[in-house]
Amino acid sequence: MFGRRNRQITDEQLDRLGRALVLSATNDEAAASAADKPFLYARVRARISAEQARAHDTDEGWLALLAISRRAVPALSAVAALALALMLWLASGSAPTANGFGDEAYYGSEAGVERTVLASTDNLSRDEVLSIVVERDEQGRR
Amino acid sequence: MSASAEPTDDALVAATCAGDESAFEQLFERHRRRVARIASRFFSRPEQLEEIIQESFTKAYLALPTFAGAHAASFVAWLTQIAVNACYDELRRAQRRPEQQLGDLNSAEAQELTAHLHSGGAHDVESALISRDLAGKLLARLSAEDRLVLTLLDAEGLSVAEIAQVTGWSSAKVKVRAHRARAHLRRVLRKYL
Repeated sequence: MFGRRNRQITDEQLDRLGRALVLSATNDEAAASAADKPFLYARVRARISAEQARAHDTDEGWLALLAISRRAVPALSAVAALALALMLWLASGSAPTANGFGDEAYYGSEAGVERTVLASTDNLSRDEVLSIVVERDEQGRR
Repeated sequence: MSASAEPTDDALVAATCAGDESAFEQLFERHRRRVARIASRFFSRPEQLEEIIQESFTKAYLALPTFAGAHAASFVAWLTQIAVNACYDELRRAQRRPEQQLGDLNSAEAQELTAHLHSGGAHDVESALISRDLAGKLLARLSAEDRLVLTLLDAEGLSVAEIAQVTGWSSAKVKVRAHRARAHLRRVLRKYL
């Protein structure tokens, strides 16, 4: 439907039409009506106050955060130092026991399966453990 | 009272910064129509125009301390810059809204466009009113940047240097954008002629 004669239309004509469109888009009556609206300045003032309050809240928020962090940093440092001391103390307490078994020997790697791993500093193999058990059984029978 | 007795914009700005609220009200009364006219180049709905007026004066008020004494331009030029940027932001926001998707022109509107083309731009008040609707429909197909640069060039009559100052773009960017905007508008118009 449209665009049958567009070959005859020059760019100059289109630019002129474009300028006319841009000029026609202006709505002077609407502009005058908007500018003369009652209480417009009151609304502007209210908006300014709202923006100032928002900016003030934001600033206060930052200040509060700074105050909290100033108090929190020493407390967090103390907690971290305590945790470090506790960790070091526990590490020193997990040395091989008198029986020759380390703490890790009591933990299994598979969930839900309870088993004792004889992985002490003596490094007994499974065969050695088995032979000890068999010997004890035999001694018990005698 | 003679015009010379009225305080200058700079004096009112200084008074506002010193805490005189009535000075800012005078600035508002003096320049609100100009801001509304700038907004009406881009928007037609009353609530959009009021939004631009409110936003421009709010930004101006909050930025007054940075303007006072440190800005080479006049208060009017500075306020114009704020208003144009507010319009540009609103144009971009409007284009992101789903209701902005436009339908095609009907045959009556296409005929009106053709009539305008052959009339060479001369038209009476009534046809200008119809054309405003049509113009809004066609210009809404341009990007916010294209619309801004064409409006400032053709409707506000600003030079490339002035547009560069208002928008903060380089002069080269203004020229390139204007060239592309005209080409885009030509394509849009050719589609319906």
